[in-house]
Amino acid sequence: MAIEYWRNRDRYYRLIGSRCQNCGDEFFPPVYRCRGCGSEKIVDKEMPKSGKIVTYTRLHEPLPGFEAQAPFYLAVVELKNGARVLSQVVDSPDESVKTGARVKATVRRMKVDGESGQIIYGYKFVVDR
Amino acid sequence: MHLMQSKERAAIRGYGAYLPYYRLPTTEIARVWKGGGSGPNVEKAVASMDEDTVTMALEAARLAMKMSETKELGAVFVGTESKPYAVKPTSTIVAQALGQHHTLAADLEFACKAGTEAIQVITGLVGSGMIDAGLAIGMDTAQGRPGDDLEYTAASGGAAYVIGRKDKKAIGVIDCSTSFVSDTGDFWRRAHERYPRHLSRFTGEPAYFYHIENSVRTLFKETGHVPSDFKYAVFHQPNPRFPVEVATRLGFTMEQIKTGLLNPTIGNTYAGSSPIGLAAVLDEASPGDKILLASFGSGAGSDAFCIEVTDGITRTRGVNPTVKSIMSRTSKIDYSTYSKFRDKLQK
Amino acid sequence: MGKSKVYIASAGLTKVGDHWSKSILDLSVEAARGAIKGAPKVKPEHIFVGNMFSAVGSSQEHLGAMVASALGLAGTPAFKVESACSSGGSAVNLATSLIRSGAIESALVVGVEKMRDLEPEETSKALAMAESADYTQFVGATFAALNGLLARYYMEHLGVSRDELSSIPVLDHKNAVTAEHAQFRKAISPEVVSRSSMVADPLRLFDCAPVGDGAAAVLLTGERRAAGSKRRMAEVLASRVATAEFSVYERKDMLEFGATKSAFGKAMSDAGLSPKKVSLAEVHDAFSVVGALSLEAMGFSKRGMGARDAKEGKYDQGSSMPINTFGGLKARGHPVGATGVYQVVEAFMQLTGQAGLNQVEGVEYAVTQNVGGVDTTSAIQVLGRAS
Repeated sequence: MAIEYWRNRDRYYRLIGSRCQNCGDEFFPPVYRCRGCGSEKIVDKEMPKSGKIVTYTRLHEPLPGFEAQAPFYLAVVELKNGARVLSQVVDSPDESVKTGARVKATVRRMKVDGESGQIIYGYKFVVDR
Repeated sequence: MHLMQSKERAAIRGYGAYLPYYRLPTTEIARVWKGGGSGPNVEKAVASMDEDTVTMALEAARLAMKMSETKELGAVFVGTESKPYAVKPTSTIVAQALGQHHTLAADLEFACKAGTEAIQVITGLVGSGMIDAGLAIGMDTAQGRPGDDLEYTAASGGAAYVIGRKDKKAIGVIDCSTSFVSDTGDFWRRAHERYPRHLSRFTGEPAYFYHIENSVRTLFKETGHVPSDFKYAVFHQPNPRFPVEVATRLGFTMEQIKTGLLNPTIGNTYAGSSPIGLAAVLDEASPGDKILLASFGSGAGSDAFCIEVTDGITRTRGVNPTVKSIMSRTSKIDYSTYSKFRDKLQK
Repeated sequence: MGKSKVYIASAGLTKVGDHWSKSILDLSVEAARGAIKGAPKVKPEHIFVGNMFSAVGSSQEHLGAMVASALGLAGTPAFKVESACSSGGSAVNLATSLIRSGAIESALVVGVEKMRDLEPEETSKALAMAESADYTQFVGATFAALNGLLARYYMEHLGVSRDELSSIPVLDHKNAVTAEHAQFRKAISPEVVSRSSMVADPLRLFDCAPVGDGAAAVLLTGERRAAGSKRRMAEVLASRVATAEFSVYERKDMLEFGATKSAFGKAMSDAGLSPKKVSLAEVHDAFSVVGALSLEAMGFSKRGMGARDAKEGKYDQGSSMPINTFGGLKARGHPVGATGVYQVVEAFMQLTGQAGLNQVEGVEYAVTQNVGGVDTTSAIQVLGRAS
């Protein structure tokens, strides 16, 4: 199961998203075509690592592979450049996870393929303390 | 002469410390296993269930890179005894996440002293002119068998250092170091074993004290330094007692070691232990201050360094959170949460 | 709009729920035979099977040919149509479009989903496949999680209360009491919703449509074959599908269901109808918040008023435009790929006076809205009495 994650490792570790060379809009997840102006002049761009929570949920029944972490917070995070990322929010007291809270990116284990498979790493956010 | 000194001096250009958010009070461990009391330390830092040496090394490395204002690394070394993989480097994952590809990358293992070894090797590579800058990380998610004495102290955390040429951005020159090793089996973990074993009191005199005293006394002898030359001293800190005892034997005062003595509230972060102590010292050191750093690794050996703080330190204030501030933002957990986080429940 | 009118000649369905002893093919055949028996003269020229996850749920693909063969219709062109939870609605749309264009004269549309063979977490994984593997599934988010995020956003931004949101599942359960094919035929109070277990805060178990097996089918025909036998038929006045920005969190306005808004607007225009003329709607309320936002996207309720209007009784049986007359997704059930076809069958039953105890009097025009993803695909059908 490792190859589909390997392919995206820079996206997952460094938040490499897209920048439109025509209008300057930035996106994460990456896009093939600018959602603002429609240009296809898209280049990779590292996203800012901080933003704020637009909305969130606390998930009690997660996908297989994530059970041990449940319940956990998932949030739509708007980065400083306006890009919107769906991410877990970890290591943050319940009262700090709220709409508008400032968060910063970290890299954590996402899931592990059993006892012998690979460990998948990726972005999560932490409420800025 | 046994002193290791590069012809061109290398210098610390940036550093970053990382400690996980969670703290387990040792009264919790004592409550579960001994029915009461506490351990030698008050609390220990516990990594969350989605953290490991890779993620923590990367956190520290990103801070160190930011402070160093360095773009390219010629080497990335991670010193640890808790590699997430038996075979597959930790250092390549860290390098990838930092966007570094034209770099030497390796994991070093020497129980609790792999972090300072990384500093020595990078110092040599920079000092010889082979690379311009390298990253040395000491980081661990140390594990103690449930109920074992080690469980009180085995903790998670560490620090990363970007080491480069001695120029205006340098914050501390690595003047010289010594190493002293012997075959001493005080603490070990066989392949495929989950937890380490140790020979309790044997870890003291013939191991910790013998090796640190040798490395530091060699450094004193060959440089002519005396304890009073140093504003600060940082020793490996497996518990709160050993570093105080070794400092006293070598002629250092509490005043010199208190800044870097973190064990009482974070525990023993193994390969991260002396590196994070050094980070706490750099947080408040001034240009001209000399720092003695001495690690210890079971198996066994000690590296001792003489570091002189330089003017560049003033530009680093406020760039990263201090070790003190990281230590002040924590959340206490109980033994059951700790068991869940660190996968202590045998399924 | 094309040349031919399109009629629903007949319909068939299974009860929604636990069909432990029936396979995905058993369910498909049962529903299809129901439709075929209702209009024996209509021979389907094409077969479309709306289904989302037969591969994961039943290790079965190639459903089109399999269903055709089982029905003794080998030789007929047959296809599986997939657009997540809107697979059924999309299948109806494709069949309708081909008939209207004149390319074919009749089609059998089957919607089927076999969910109960899977463990709950496997179902959750299968449903999440409607969303991005690389960026949504990757972070551990289920489909319910996305709707939980959306529900909080809706409640915080538009000041909607817990009780208002609960009124949608309450309405569904009330309507399902007398619906023979419904999965849960038991009325509930708002407290049942607000005290049920938390799934994805603020969404609770009773905000979410249940998991169930089921199949529904309709036999569609063009005007030539319908001639002379329209008495028990309904007409498909318009059928539209639209898509939106793929992931809800990528949208500028998360509270606008753009796919539904677009498909509904075009369908109304195709049918030459004003929304005021609609006398019944089957709304895709896979989650309470989705029901509310759908009502708003179609303009039946103003922004932020979908759940409030439901609480005020605007959509109850006996009102000028009742919704989810057999229990909607929450109580009739939501066998995902079949849901869009169930909705069409239910609207057909209402228009042809076959709705039994759930009959709404004087239905002239009915709308069905079937959504895949978080309104990522929306399939709208506008049905009327055959004339």
